[in-house]
Amino acid sequence: MKTTYFIIPIIFYLLIISLVSSCQSFVEVDLPKSQLTTESVFEDYNTAEAALTNIYTSIRDKGILTGGQLGISNQLGNYADEITCVDNPSKASYNFYRNSLLPTNTYVTGYWNASYNQIYAANLVIQGTKSSKNLTVQQKNQLEGEALFIRALLHFYLTNIFGDIPYATQTDYKQNSIISKTSVDQVYRLVVTDLQHASLLLRSKDDDSARVQPSVSAAQALLSRVYLYLKAYPEASNSASAVLNQSSEYKLENVSNVFLISSSETIWRLQSELTGQNTADGAFFIFTSIPPPSVSLDSQLVGSFNSADLRKTNWIKSVTKGSQTYFHSYKYKEKDFTAPSKEYAVVLRLAEQYLIRAEARAYQGDLIGAKEDLNKIRNRAGLNNTTAVTQQEILDAIHLERRWELFTEYGHRFFDLKRSGKLDSSLNGIKPGWNSSDALFPLPQTELTANPNLRPQNTGY
Amino acid sequence: MNYFSFYKGGKELYCLIFMGIISCISPIYAKKNTCLSSSLFQQHAIHGAVTDGTSPLPGVTISVKNKLNSAVISDYNGQYSITASPSDTLIVSFIGFKTALITVKGRTLLNIILQYDTTVLQEVRVNAGYYSVKESERTGSIARITSKEIENQPVTNVMATMQGRMAGVNITQRTGIPGGSFDIKIRGQNSIRADGNSPLYIIDGVPYSSDIISSSLTATAFPSGVNPLNNINPDNIESIEVLKDADATSIYGSRGANGVVLITTKKGKKGKTSFNLLASTGFGNVTKLPKLMNTEQYIKMRKQAFINDGLTEYGPYDYDVNGTWDQNRYTDWQKELLGRTSQTSDFQGTVNGGSENTQFLISGNFHRETTVFPGEFFYKRGGGHINLNHHSDDNKFKISFSGSYNVQDNNQPSFDFTNEARYLAPNAPAVYTSDGQLNWENSTWENPLRNLESKYESKTNDLLANTLISYEIWKDLTIKSSFGFTSLDTKETRIIPSTMADPAYEATSDDSAIFLNDTKRSSWIIEPQINWSKNLGAGKIDILAGATFQSQKTERINLSGIGFTSNSLIYNIAAAKNIRIYTDDETLYKYQAFFGRLNYNWKQRYIVNLTGRRDGSSRFGPRNQFANFGAAGIAWIFSKETFLENNRWLSYGKIRSSYGITGSDQIGDYMFLDTYTTSGKIYNGVTGVQPTRLFNRDFGWETNKKIELALELGFLHDRIYVTGAIYKNRSSNQLVGIPLPATTGFTSLQSNLDAVVENTGLELTLRTVNISGKSFNWSTNLNLTFAKNKLVDFPSLQTSTYSQQYRIGQPLNINLLYNFKGVNPQTGIYEFEDLNDDGRITFPDDRQAVVDLNPKYYGGIQNQISYKNLNLDFLFQFSKQKNRSYPVSGAGQMLNQIDRLTDSWMQPGDNSFHQIYTTGYNNDALNADSLYSQSTGAITDASFIRLKNISLTYDLPLSLKGLKCKIMLQGQNLLTFTKYKDGDPEFISYGYLPPLKVINTGIQLTF
Repeated sequence: MKTTYFIIPIIFYLLIISLVSSCQSFVEVDLPKSQLTTESVFEDYNTAEAALTNIYTSIRDKGILTGGQLGISNQLGNYADEITCVDNPSKASYNFYRNSLLPTNTYVTGYWNASYNQIYAANLVIQGTKSSKNLTVQQKNQLEGEALFIRALLHFYLTNIFGDIPYATQTDYKQNSIISKTSVDQVYRLVVTDLQHASLLLRSKDDDSARVQPSVSAAQALLSRVYLYLKAYPEASNSASAVLNQSSEYKLENVSNVFLISSSETIWRLQSELTGQNTADGAFFIFTSIPPPSVSLDSQLVGSFNSADLRKTNWIKSVTKGSQTYFHSYKYKEKDFTAPSKEYAVVLRLAEQYLIRAEARAYQGDLIGAKEDLNKIRNRAGLNNTTAVTQQEILDAIHLERRWELFTEYGHRFFDLKRSGKLDSSLNGIKPGWNSSDALFPLPQTELTANPNLRPQNTGY
Repeated sequence: MNYFSFYKGGKELYCLIFMGIISCISPIYAKKNTCLSSSLFQQHAIHGAVTDGTSPLPGVTISVKNKLNSAVISDYNGQYSITASPSDTLIVSFIGFKTALITVKGRTLLNIILQYDTTVLQEVRVNAGYYSVKESERTGSIARITSKEIENQPVTNVMATMQGRMAGVNITQRTGIPGGSFDIKIRGQNSIRADGNSPLYIIDGVPYSSDIISSSLTATAFPSGVNPLNNINPDNIESIEVLKDADATSIYGSRGANGVVLITTKKGKKGKTSFNLLASTGFGNVTKLPKLMNTEQYIKMRKQAFINDGLTEYGPYDYDVNGTWDQNRYTDWQKELLGRTSQTSDFQGTVNGGSENTQFLISGNFHRETTVFPGEFFYKRGGGHINLNHHSDDNKFKISFSGSYNVQDNNQPSFDFTNEARYLAPNAPAVYTSDGQLNWENSTWENPLRNLESKYESKTNDLLANTLISYEIWKDLTIKSSFGFTSLDTKETRIIPSTMADPAYEATSDDSAIFLNDTKRSSWIIEPQINWSKNLGAGKIDILAGATFQSQKTERINLSGIGFTSNSLIYNIAAAKNIRIYTDDETLYKYQAFFGRLNYNWKQRYIVNLTGRRDGSSRFGPRNQFANFGAAGIAWIFSKETFLENNRWLSYGKIRSSYGITGSDQIGDYMFLDTYTTSGKIYNGVTGVQPTRLFNRDFGWETNKKIELALELGFLHDRIYVTGAIYKNRSSNQLVGIPLPATTGFTSLQSNLDAVVENTGLELTLRTVNISGKSFNWSTNLNLTFAKNKLVDFPSLQTSTYSQQYRIGQPLNINLLYNFKGVNPQTGIYEFEDLNDDGRITFPDDRQAVVDLNPKYYGGIQNQISYKNLNLDFLFQFSKQKNRSYPVSGAGQMLNQIDRLTDSWMQPGDNSFHQIYTTGYNNDALNADSLYSQSTGAITDASFIRLKNISLTYDLPLSLKGLKCKIMLQGQNLLTFTKYKDGDPEFISYGYLPPLKVINTGIQLTF
């Protein structure tokens, strides 16, 4: 019995040797199954597409264009004169409503951080697509086009909110961590370049008409807005026309149908996450009992509508208890899940293109054309043709119309006041916390400390 | 592929090959040890009893000198019988007693009285992981508790058994809910990353990952999740050793930085097969709750708040004061929601015995406990443990196997009721209507018992097995290897049924949801070793070399289902209308190491101990996978020197010191890879993938340099035994997320930062045998730790995201706070120091007061008293510390408050501790409220002395031969003395169920 024990050292030895020799790379491990190397992602169209579409998910769920409480539809509504916030410091909108943002404000920092995270993801798609060996030209064009669109879109919003900002086009963190600010003018120039490039690459329309991924029209629609902000009126007019001329694809809808999934007014929208889920704006803005939990629509805005305006009756709802009445935006009518989903968050829609072209035409002296476009929107809302005659009257009418048409949609009101130089005159009386320097948000404190090249802070902070 | 890892480990490999060759041929040369029959003389039977003078001693080993395999063990009445020749000498040995040599001189009846040996402590072998060392000869710092201490405690978590018993080990219970986790710091916090401070746990030689197995989606009632250490049954543990200094931990290399906890399970002992049955039952209550306002005080506060705000009418939602609710009704919500008695029951059975060559131990156990919450919730654990040992006749071949399997079933509410119990208005309505339904009182409140509907359940199976084989291939040369395996599977569910909601909301099963977590973790480890031990002249040399191959796989699936046709289908996720998968992942961690130890002991006076390890880990990028660690320890036992040898009062004296480097690889897996991860979110029919992180291929180990100097002294035959150790540990090359500007796409990058964290401390232990008599014994153990933690260096801290969290020169566990100045007697509002004199209280300029929340000192004092058959053992645990006081914000709103807020400011001129009540309209007060919670006013002394454990056992004096019966009365956390007024002082974060006080009675039968 005992003699058999000598086998043990042999077994031992064999075991150790086999273990050691088979494990030359013992501490090297394969990828976890939930991860893919960046390189391999862009060698397959499906994963490359997944890398791209996830940016839309991210845009929908965080940062500037997210819905609900934290998106700019609400926050810039509070910041300007569209929305009233419950007077409580614990509310996320409180400091926006009071125009008392600090460089340490979490939500401001959130806009910055989320946007650059999304831009990074877009740049990674651009970079990965370019170096990919397996993707077809068509696939590369679509992926790169959409990523360029995303990059332009986010920088456009960032520069309107923060002023001079870095325009990130690389993925190398060593470069990006010392990146300097680009002037607003230069940012606009880069946005235009990216959008022009994107419109050459993008698909002319969605394969499945879901309109949840940007097409050429989306790039042109955004381009027309960018040109308008740049006061490049002929280009704005042309880009808007490029969209408006596709009358078989895009049509104005009845006021009550504008935000439905079936709406052909939509140029680009963000799909909700789950089947049956509707928009975050609907879930947040709508309330059924008062006092409202967080925010309500400003009563002056509500009062400014013509009583015959279908938008007042269709897109605004009042909740009354006793002597108290509060209003909420009712563009999105679904607070909860429905089967199936009825509404998605619309980022770009046709009505804006009419208003852009109206304004661009008015500035170019085409008053008839301007009124024609303006009346399209007025008539759709059940209103008569505009009575404005002079250029200034028409421009004022368009300005007002934009307020009624585009309220609580991605900060249009604030940006309109800002680009027309009317922020101070419009907000001074009614917003006690308003200062001229509030036209720009503060740059996040964490950014200024981490990257001195981003200094100085915007004035007033 | 990874050729260089092999290359770098080349020397070790050659060593292994060499070793293998030797081991293969050695048996051929091995001498044949034939056992000659020794029955040359006439044999006769000797019998008798072994006693300590008064009571019989069971388990004493009696053997015949110079005769192999002759040992017998005394039975439970101290009786023994042995065969020997008349001229033989008997060796009688028993732990705790002096070994006696008795010559037979032809006698057949031999009653033996053993003398207590107080110096025996020196002889105890302490487990140091890869080797064991005699207590007197150890060079490292090792704290130890044994089954004796563990068995006295009616607790289910192994961490709880260690609390207050070890110097340098600070353990805080996070929640009183069974299955919850503990915070453990061995010699302080080393890593800036809060989750990089866990010690390494090794059970019977197998590393046991303490990474959280729960998911934040499911285990919502548990702060910091569910720790797998709950799987270990304390009753199976023979001893726990905690390795603290470099000498002891360096052999664990990259995983030793935060200390090592070695758990050794019970082993079979040779002798008559014995049975041990234990049954106990007990009950538990919450230790201490803060005293809240009663209805009268509360209503008075509310009404005053309205007066303060200048409101003349109560709002429509102010149900508590506007007449909707009965203003005379009073419910003590803490009593209602946390005041039940939890019942525990425990059964344990052990069979143990074996021959000279083969021993075994088999045990099984079951534990059940209910909760202090309302509703039918319980925690169950059952399991088995097996140990087998065998050695060949020539003692060259040895094999031992230990295995344990434990099953846990934990049913709890998915929300801890503690917070709600504290904030509910005391005149809130009854929880049930007269017909036994949940009472929603016309939708005027959120009934707290709605949470009973939201159930959490976890089922965990855990298997741990280890085999150790060794063979002495040559004289003094032994090869051995351990083969370990662990497998853990936990399944968690949490449901949120629509029945939780007030029926007025018209929630349906369409809104019901379930969250699932399934985590599986398995690992294997192989550790071949070679050991050479030789007496060289007056010295003795021990050499150990070995290698480790370890692999650990973790699989995890997290998903949720929302919307069911019926709530009765809620546990069937296939019936859910929307299913979302959050995580479906499998991660692999591989680890390879070569280690060695060289110990030289000269004349048992001078000892040098060198240890080293070369580690490779899959957690690091290709160029940084390997690193070296090592330590040197020295000891001088000066009491053995000739000039002290005959000293009457000093029985033992040793100075020891060590220095070395350990590391930490607790950074998670795959952090160096450039990858995309699935986001689990579908967009336009495609499941998205997102960039995982900014990747850095070049980060490496966190290194921890430890230095220690210790003195150990025994006086009067070690009746007074005192140790003192000072240590300094410095952790550098900190692996942290280095803050980056967000323009990079992310806000941090995993990298090594040149920050240095220092832990220094003084640890004292004192053991005194106060009285040692025939029937009365009393001994005392004290441990005391003074510890200091300091951030020594942090490059450009001011510009980092940590700038408002840490201060150079201060501990990591600080709070930066506003300096509280009191209540302004005129305005009635809290005031704070305006450091920058800008007339406003602003962050961060004014939030600069530093408060250290680390304990200044902590420890425990244990007394063991025995009188005849009666044993009393009690431990007081103490800690001198500060902590957060009860949050007092919102006084005047519809939230109950701690009763001292009745003393709030009422009118100008009042000097009160707390500010004016407001219903929420006084903005200045609200603002000050939120500043107060971040001010020095919210910090208070939370020092305590706690009767952590008391145990009274009585051995029934039975006349039945071979039967022993012990009755036990045990208590845990019975008394707490503290100035802290706001509940129990032991907590990490507020709002969780405090630890329970438990009283337990039991009976133990041995036969």
